[in-house]
Amino acid sequence: MFSTFRDFVMKVVLKPTRQVMDLKIYVCVKHVPDTAATIRVGTDGRIDEDITFIMNPYDENAVEEAVRLKKQVGEADVVAVTLGNDTAEATLRSAMAMGADRAILVRSAGRPDGITTAGALCAAIRRDGPADLVFTGRESIDAEGFQTMFRLGACLDMPVASNVVAFALEKGMVRVTCEMEAGDREDLELPMPCVVGAGKDLNQPAYPKLPDILRARKKPVTVVDQDQLQVPPSTSRVEMVRLETTAEERHPKPLEGSADKIADAIVRILRDEAKVLE
Amino acid sequence: MTKKYDAIIIGAGVIGCPIGYELAKMGYKTLNVDKLSDAGEGSTAASCAIVRAHYSTVDGVAMAYEGFKYWLEWENYLGNVQDEKGLAKYMNTGSLLIKSQGHDWQKVKNNYDVVGVQYEEWDVAKIKEMVPVYDMHEFWPVKRPEDPDFFKEPERMLEGALFCPEGGYMSDPALSAHNIMRAAEARGAEFIFQAEVAAVRSENNRVLGITLKDGTQIDAPVVVNVGGPHSHKINQMAEGVYEGCNIKTKALRHEVMHCPSPEGYDYLNDGYHTSDGDIGCYYRPEAGNMFLIGSEDPDCDPQEWVDPDLFYAGKESSYRRNNQLTAEQWQAQTYRCARRVPDMAIPNQPRGVCDLYDCSDDWIPIYDKSSMQGFYMAIGSSGNQYKNAPVAGAMMAELIDKCEKGLDHDKEPLQYTLPHIGRQIDVGFFSRNREINYNSSFSVNG
Amino acid sequence: MDKTGVLIEMRDGKLKPSNLAVCSAASRGDGECIALLLDDNESAVGATLQDYGVDSVVKIEADDRAIPWNPEAWTAAIMQAMAHYGIATLLGLASVKGKILLAGVAAALDAPLVMDCTAVDLDRHAAVKPQFSGKALAEFVTHGERHIYGLRPNALPAVKAPRQSRVETFQATIGSSRTTVLNVRKGASDRVDLTEANVIISGGRGMANGDNFGILHECARPLSAAVGASRVAVDAGWVSHTMQVGQTGKTVTPKVYIACGISGSVQHFAGMKTAGLIIAVNTDPQAAIMQKCDYAVCADLFDIIPALTRKLQKTAD
Repeated sequence: MFSTFRDFVMKVVLKPTRQVMDLKIYVCVKHVPDTAATIRVGTDGRIDEDITFIMNPYDENAVEEAVRLKKQVGEADVVAVTLGNDTAEATLRSAMAMGADRAILVRSAGRPDGITTAGALCAAIRRDGPADLVFTGRESIDAEGFQTMFRLGACLDMPVASNVVAFALEKGMVRVTCEMEAGDREDLELPMPCVVGAGKDLNQPAYPKLPDILRARKKPVTVVDQDQLQVPPSTSRVEMVRLETTAEERHPKPLEGSADKIADAIVRILRDEAKVLE
Repeated sequence: MTKKYDAIIIGAGVIGCPIGYELAKMGYKTLNVDKLSDAGEGSTAASCAIVRAHYSTVDGVAMAYEGFKYWLEWENYLGNVQDEKGLAKYMNTGSLLIKSQGHDWQKVKNNYDVVGVQYEEWDVAKIKEMVPVYDMHEFWPVKRPEDPDFFKEPERMLEGALFCPEGGYMSDPALSAHNIMRAAEARGAEFIFQAEVAAVRSENNRVLGITLKDGTQIDAPVVVNVGGPHSHKINQMAEGVYEGCNIKTKALRHEVMHCPSPEGYDYLNDGYHTSDGDIGCYYRPEAGNMFLIGSEDPDCDPQEWVDPDLFYAGKESSYRRNNQLTAEQWQAQTYRCARRVPDMAIPNQPRGVCDLYDCSDDWIPIYDKSSMQGFYMAIGSSGNQYKNAPVAGAMMAELIDKCEKGLDHDKEPLQYTLPHIGRQIDVGFFSRNREINYNSSFSVNG
Repeated sequence: MDKTGVLIEMRDGKLKPSNLAVCSAASRGDGECIALLLDDNESAVGATLQDYGVDSVVKIEADDRAIPWNPEAWTAAIMQAMAHYGIATLLGLASVKGKILLAGVAAALDAPLVMDCTAVDLDRHAAVKPQFSGKALAEFVTHGERHIYGLRPNALPAVKAPRQSRVETFQATIGSSRTTVLNVRKGASDRVDLTEANVIISGGRGMANGDNFGILHECARPLSAAVGASRVAVDAGWVSHTMQVGQTGKTVTPKVYIACGISGSVQHFAGMKTAGLIIAVNTDPQAAIMQKCDYAVCADLFDIIPALTRKLQKTAD
């Protein structure tokens, strides 16, 4: 019987989820330019990185969900992983300030594409793991490749759920709600281990307070060079051959005439120029 | 045909507009010219618009206290003019000056006594009662988060604070400048925008007028430099003027952060503007229940003196010098504030405003004539003159009028009587010829 | 001969018009263009597709019927069809489903993928796509045995290239999927996050009151746009500060920003200046924003926006 309401909650509500102990949860995060940063391309065809960098905003939702899950199950190891150069450590510290326990920095060699990135993350996770869950943001706001998560799933041999706006772990199964087109939502069930791509609506990230930030400074970061890992080789690659910034100057063009005529013109602009009409 | 005015004011920010307004009230036919598209769109728009009386000099306190009267009776000051954009609002939060080693508060207290500013002395218990979220330990000296001692446990408590019931901020500084413009127009003043000054014309050391970038020439026997961060460039356009100033001005880059108030604390409605020298910050409420966190330029923070044109174009030499917030300063200012407000949760993404101060060598403004007849300047606001704008307008108008009527202000400095508080200030205090005033706090505190 | 596949997407039993441009892109060149169709459909999709260069339409089924939506099952089926028909290049839409399927296929095949292309050159295996929220444009060349491209909907034109296409059925063998689709719920939420929206329609002082923002919400619906506001509207209490765009609000990077009755003060503009295209609607030709936009509409938003809404609703039908 239940001696208190708390007792009831612990035994009936939380007990089934507490069957899963010692979860190993990985969160793949990315160090990206701030949305407000000015993007300039140098003569080497790469962006000028003398700008403000932040954690990819969707990755914040991923870290938050992983940390919440840890609180729910009681025993878990939340590991933040990133592929980048030494400056990416700042994003790992942010993840740890938000509650990740430790972090892995895979020092990138050259200019990794989505294939290499996923391979490196996969190798790092395999080496450290095995993983029960892999969270990541549903997309990155810089390269916007829209593929790393899926390649990670294939590499780790895990199913993938993307644009997740609700997550639950029940009886060892993952239940997610994915946001589809035009507000449609679908509920999926996946076994662990699986890869979960976090959407904006998944949660409201709880930002760290100073004591969390201080603690994060002392949490361990393992640094490993990409070349040291057993990154599965690929015969494929995506090669960037040109990168240029889009024009900054705006030259206003007037739209004149009757309201209907102007409305027609705007629809044309939306459809043909901006290409935002389905 | 060259247009002619009695006075041209270069700049339609929060200082330039009241100068136009007051001169217009005196009967001058005035023209404000501004290179941006509307009043207050330059550094005024980025001002924290804080209204407070604590200054390290008596005249500083007097001017600020006088200024209160204008902000408090805004509609009156504006002559009850209508502004299609609405009126800026004064938010009276009250003002706390933390008694710290970072701020010569005893000097301020003495100045308050001299001028007659209302204040109370709050001890730590009182502060905790009124502001439960503040941790009143001493964190001095101010450090950067990169410093290993930043997170050192504090050992002592602060003594308390000076509380001024009168103090707060204006809700929309750009709008306040716009309001003053409308008030000035009602008195016959004119304003033109997207009008960049390319030259200041003179003959025999007497100003003739200005030439705009598009070639337009406008004549006036009086030209006033109220160019904000561009003030030094404008002074350089008038022959001999820049060299004729002992105190120079330069543009100093500043970052102001917006960080959410801790959960459960309604800073917007319950909080106080706080000048916190102990952590090198000042903060006030901002829309969205945010803490607006400004820096008092502690010694450990690098100062970036920039070219204003390159800065605004984002073309300065490094990102620490451009008009985007940096992660380092975001952390410095939010982490410092979080020492005082331990429940503050700090987002990863910087949010706030990055703009320029027009800084003088001693952080005291220059309200003066120049070595060129007819050319005047109201510059070097150093981040601490927004609150004095209406007073500066009236004082400059009087200075200009007296000088044009024969006063030799350099020899016999104008004594200006502050109309509301009745105190006289020696306008020579703001002279371009002064020696560096070491009584100044050399900071945004003035 | 190189075979190019086009992953066709339907919605509510109808062919999405944006597929046609993908067909056009795929059919340029000498190779055979094969449309792959998994959605259950009765309509004569083949007739439309063949007008846009499709040589054969392959209905992918399992056990003689359409495969119920399941990302794993569909990915596996597409891969089997690609293998069966010898498809080396696959094109599709960078839509929500497209992003799942094309990436899933690319991952399983270890094939290169460029997603959200605004231009493709299949001969060179090259594609162009925006990066950094549209602040930059990148060109890629894919290397590998197969190539996959997800095209931004309506980025490329649909060009007619009539062919005689045949329709056939391919039976895939679908094992059990690890992922189970429990249910699909049709969209009720028409609220789009300000920081994620492709299109934002914002109101300022010209809105006059909070109720009038309803006009913007109505226009936003057919656009799947988010509704934003300037500081004036927030300060006046017309809308919540969560809608504020500007230095003290959110920094938005939509493809289109429609500013209604907004003067474009420096602080508001700082928050929206990275938008791809700015359309300003304001009765004041001197308003700052009229100088800083791409299209200036000097007219009353109360005439223009409802007219725009009507046109958009008609287009959607």
